[in-house]
Amino acid sequence: MDQGIRIEGLSKRYGEGDTAVDALKEVNMSIAPGEVVGLVGPSGSGKTTLLKCLGAVIEPTRGRMTLGGEVIYDSADGGWKTPDLRALRRDRIGFIFQAPYLIPFLDVIDNVALLPMLAGQTNGASRARALELLQALDVTHRAKAQPSELSGGEQQRVSIARALANQPPVILADEPTAPLDSERALAVMRILNQMASQYQTAIIVVTHDEKIIPIFKRIYHIRDGRTVEEAGAPRKAAHPERGGNDKIIHAEETIVAEEFHILKPDIT
Amino acid sequence: MISLAGRDILHSWGRFVLTGIGLGLLIGATLTMAGVYRGMVDDARVMLTNSGADIWVVQQDTQGPYAEASSIRDDVYRGLLGLPGVAQAASVTYLTMQVRHGDTDSRTMVVGFEPGQPGEPGYLVAGRRLLRGHFEAIADVKTGFRLGERIRIRRHDYEVVGLTRRMVSSGGDPMVFIPLKDAQEAQFLKDNDAIISDRARTAANPALNRPGVPGLLDAVTAAQTINHSVNAVLVKVGAGNTAETVAREIRRWKHLQAYTREQMEEILVAKLIATSAKQIGMFLAILTIVSAAIVAFIIYTMTLGKIREIAVLKLIGTRNRTIAGMILQQAMGLGLIGFVVGKISATLWGPAFPKYVLLETGDAVRAFVIIMVVCALASTLAIRAALKVDPATAIGG
Repeated sequence: MDQGIRIEGLSKRYGEGDTAVDALKEVNMSIAPGEVVGLVGPSGSGKTTLLKCLGAVIEPTRGRMTLGGEVIYDSADGGWKTPDLRALRRDRIGFIFQAPYLIPFLDVIDNVALLPMLAGQTNGASRARALELLQALDVTHRAKAQPSELSGGEQQRVSIARALANQPPVILADEPTAPLDSERALAVMRILNQMASQYQTAIIVVTHDEKIIPIFKRIYHIRDGRTVEEAGAPRKAAHPERGGNDKIIHAEETIVAEEFHILKPDIT
Repeated sequence: MISLAGRDILHSWGRFVLTGIGLGLLIGATLTMAGVYRGMVDDARVMLTNSGADIWVVQQDTQGPYAEASSIRDDVYRGLLGLPGVAQAASVTYLTMQVRHGDTDSRTMVVGFEPGQPGEPGYLVAGRRLLRGHFEAIADVKTGFRLGERIRIRRHDYEVVGLTRRMVSSGGDPMVFIPLKDAQEAQFLKDNDAIISDRARTAANPALNRPGVPGLLDAVTAAQTINHSVNAVLVKVGAGNTAETVAREIRRWKHLQAYTREQMEEILVAKLIATSAKQIGMFLAILTIVSAAIVAFIIYTMTLGKIREIAVLKLIGTRNRTIAGMILQQAMGLGLIGFVVGKISATLWGPAFPKYVLLETGDAVRAFVIIMVVCALASTLAIRAALKVDPATAIGG
């Protein structure tokens, strides 16, 4: 668990005095590498605030966050452990948005390769990494296409590849299936599960999407800034050797495939 | 590292190039305005050089003959030839007037000169010099006159026997060179009705028409008919003398104003076309501001159209300087396209202008630097907007 994400007593207060609003109150979460958890809750419950804190975009008021075994924030010990939050986001956190938000003037491969390049890798190494991820996500054939030429599902797969580009220990997915129909939404979730397992990345998926909620092994409900953990859909035990839940995923995929006639891509 | 600016330009190259062309035409107009000013200065210098004079002798207390009216007697040159250091001296007249050819009028400066003396055109591009004492003309090519064409100056017809180039007045009117005597007549000759009227007035004046003084009325009438004035005398100094020394002697002994080449250039450039220069300077300033506003507006709107992408770029760890660099490079790219289009436009349409347009390389280099600086400054608005984008806006819709 130490190599995933651990959040302890995280709080965030906006404003001061009478107008102060506690968006997060003593939130505790822990997610193992390779695990995909859901974060659900009504509008205004604090989901986005939690995501922004985890994404090092806003500073929590109190608490402690550990990422990949390393404390990145501790309010009791001076706050952020690095002054360069930009580099922290670039190297250690992947983002997937509601809309893919690909850079429209870069082709698919460069959208993915941009992150390793920003991290200082050579163009060749960055593109090789991008190609590897595009292959894993079955969109290699669109590597030279412009984002506007892709379907919605392809765009979301490219955005997943981008999030994985710098091999971050955590990916924050903000309603990644919201604009997709059921078939594509389940396909995206299947891919996220596979990628989490394959790259041992912890993934937090913020969602309102009821059709994908049954897929999660664990779900954090957030209400009025507090989280409550509960089990997801009926599960089998996770595969102990893989440190994850590939058997569960496999079971879900079978159900999904039967229901929506989705074939699992040939990912090794 | 990928060139984000280059990719963005390639992605929306149509809009970018069209904007660059629009900006380029504006820059072309700016370069042309600068070229018009340079052309005026160069015209003045070339005219002074081609006149072949070292000193301009004009009426005392005037800055003639180009900047102010000047009238001196046409025998002054004889006295000047007697001064030490004077190699040649010749009278000239200058008169801006309409010259008729065919069914149209052309505005020209008619120059009266003595063939073979200072004041004649420096060189011909076609035809020959004047061989007859009357009714032949040499015209600047800008007049549009052709060799052998007959033109009308006042009451007489002249045949164009030669063509010269780069001989225009400070106002940009091309010059027509005719014999001095013809020019004096053209300058002062009245029409027949006016002559008859003047003669009647003179005859009616008892002081000039005295019964006891025979021949007085005829003498007065003859004096009124003949003109002995010219506008200036051009002097060429002999070897071993300086123009300044000779000019000083002329001022001292002849009670006339004498200007050296440098002084005449100062009058032409610093005084005569100073107002035009200021006018052009104002245009240049306005065009520069307009160009800056256009670049700022275009880059700003292009940036606003990418706010979401910029938020994503910042969220995934792109440095501010990379984003600022992208916007700056786009502004510079726009400036570069604008400069190239502007330079080509100005070069193509420059010769079509009625006034000489001199596009100097130095001006082009200065314009390029100014455009780049203006574009860089204009991009600051967009950069400021981009840097203010909160990466958090990429999260949570």
